[in-house]
Amino acid sequence: MAEISCDGRTTRDINSEIRRAIAAGDREIVVKDPGARHNLAVAILDPARIRISGSAGYFCGGLIDGPRIEIDESAGWGLAESMMSGEVLVRGSVGNGAAAAMRGGTVVIHGDAAARLGVSMKGGTILVAGNCGYMAGFMGQKGRLVVCGNTGDAFADSLYETACFVGGSIEGLGIDAVIEEPSKDDVAWLDATLSQYLPGVSRRGRDFKKVVAGRKLWNFDKREWKVWQEAL
Amino acid sequence: MSDALETSGTFRPEVIEDIQIKASSGLYRIRGWGTLRERRWATFDDLTFLPCSLTRIPLEGYREKCSTKTLLGTRFAKKPIELDVPVMITGMSWGALSYNAKVALARGARTAGSSNTTGDGGMLMAERENSRTLIYEVLPSRYGINVHHMRMADAIELTIGQGAKPGTGGLLLGSKVSDVIARQRDLPIGVDQRSPARHPDFLGPDDMIIKVEELREATDWQVPIFIKMGASRVFDDVKLAAKAGADVIVVDGMEGGTGASPAILQEHTGIPTLAAVCEARAALEDIGLYGEVQLIIAGGIRDGVDAAKALALGADAIYIGTAALIALNCNRPLFIEDYRALGTEPHHCHHCHTGRCPVGITTQDPELMKRLEIDEGAERIANLLRAMTLEIQMLARACGKSDIHHLEPEDMAALSMEASAVCGIPLAGTRKVFGR
Repeated sequence: MAEISCDGRTTRDINSEIRRAIAAGDREIVVKDPGARHNLAVAILDPARIRISGSAGYFCGGLIDGPRIEIDESAGWGLAESMMSGEVLVRGSVGNGAAAAMRGGTVVIHGDAAARLGVSMKGGTILVAGNCGYMAGFMGQKGRLVVCGNTGDAFADSLYETACFVGGSIEGLGIDAVIEEPSKDDVAWLDATLSQYLPGVSRRGRDFKKVVAGRKLWNFDKREWKVWQEAL
Repeated sequence: MSDALETSGTFRPEVIEDIQIKASSGLYRIRGWGTLRERRWATFDDLTFLPCSLTRIPLEGYREKCSTKTLLGTRFAKKPIELDVPVMITGMSWGALSYNAKVALARGARTAGSSNTTGDGGMLMAERENSRTLIYEVLPSRYGINVHHMRMADAIELTIGQGAKPGTGGLLLGSKVSDVIARQRDLPIGVDQRSPARHPDFLGPDDMIIKVEELREATDWQVPIFIKMGASRVFDDVKLAAKAGADVIVVDGMEGGTGASPAILQEHTGIPTLAAVCEARAALEDIGLYGEVQLIIAGGIRDGVDAAKALALGADAIYIGTAALIALNCNRPLFIEDYRALGTEPHHCHHCHTGRCPVGITTQDPELMKRLEIDEGAERIANLLRAMTLEIQMLARACGKSDIHHLEPEDMAALSMEASAVCGIPLAGTRKVFGR
């Protein structure tokens, strides 16, 4: 196991040392004293386990393909943005745009997520034990977004094919978002996934609402003028 | 003229047609190409070069050395881009353009020692394989975003907006969202895809500083980071982009093209390219970074003359888009019946949005695409880039410059008061800069 301290070092130094450790064969790396520094563990492309022993700033785990990144406390904006595969787990809460544009892998947030969670997500799974802010799931293209608590306003606005699941209340649905009954497969997947990643969450799959696209924004249609007028 | 045939100056025939089309469709009008209206603002045509006579000595126009080497990204990147020519191919998406068009652009740019750029939809592997210098765009939509592709690129371009529609995201109508394009973009087949205007993970210029650092970390600080913007509040925006750490700033003027956009945005948003280059230079000078941060100008650049004037006003390099597509036979009188099927004629077509491009450029239809032969297209692109470069050299030599990058505002005179005021160049026949 490699231990890398952030104290008195540049982000460039820290990320270079993470990469050197992985190249040298270390598969367990602890990044100490992160001090909410931005851009930690960006573009890691190997299946290493990287633990951030504190809070991370913006874009932690951005553009990764393969690693498991664990953040002991909270993370700033753009957590795991555009990640392609791997796992990112946050014990605390996260800022805006978590898992934005993610293409694959799993992001698990034990606390709350701020606004625009999973915006433009293109695949993968997002799990939030707590609540999320406004516009979560905006323009979600593929993948699954699960919020065990409550959502903010404009939830799941302008969706394509992302399936959203909410355990608590929805402050307001976004344009073209519709609630439908989860299927048996959905419930089974939720139960299995929550058991694996968030066993402390008391809600079970049957407790969740499913939100999908109403598909009225997928193609221009003058009969849906009201929807288009209000579309974000 | 008899009263019976008088035309309203307000409700002109095209206005009447526009109202009636919208009354039928219930939707704003969408089309490709770029602004179509008559340019009544100051343009590059309002400037003329002042070649040497007695006050300066010219170089021999056809033979003396005049360097065209272009270096971009010298501020922070370990590997700046070095091009043989100052004219580059701008970002145009695989989706808006056909596979053949993208590969022809890449191959042609490579042949001429220039660069090409990906677009809103990610990188096409054949594009990388056929490029010498490839610029990878990171756009608000992040369609096709792939860190491995990013790390294969020679520069990263963080796109904030484009000249044809600053402040609004891209548009790709369902007729072009084929199964291949839908898979590439993770979208349902056939949707009218509207790209977001904002990046998903940052909003303002302060966040963008961190974003730029992320892109540098992802590429090991090796390659230049470009920041591209539509020309709007250029003086302020350029300073913010420079502050964010850009190696290169791209400013795309309102004459810039697009594959599809609401027509009103193309006609009524942004500022002209001539004004944009002047504001951009002034901004960099204002913060002491002119020459350290390189400037690329885009938006309706047609030939080496426009390019040379932009260089003289402060650009380090030029992007072309529409001109490159015209080189690939856009609007050429071939397959005329197919133009007519779209309700248009060669030289008037702006129907890129339909996906029915008669010459195989802006289409995903395999049969139409075949009309653009890659090798022939690549040769035409290389020829255009070389011809434009020769034109720039011709003007530079006439102005006594042994390097095209030595062209300067003092090499020109303004032909209109507006151009004089915009460029800070005396009006021909006077010693006066209007507005100063």
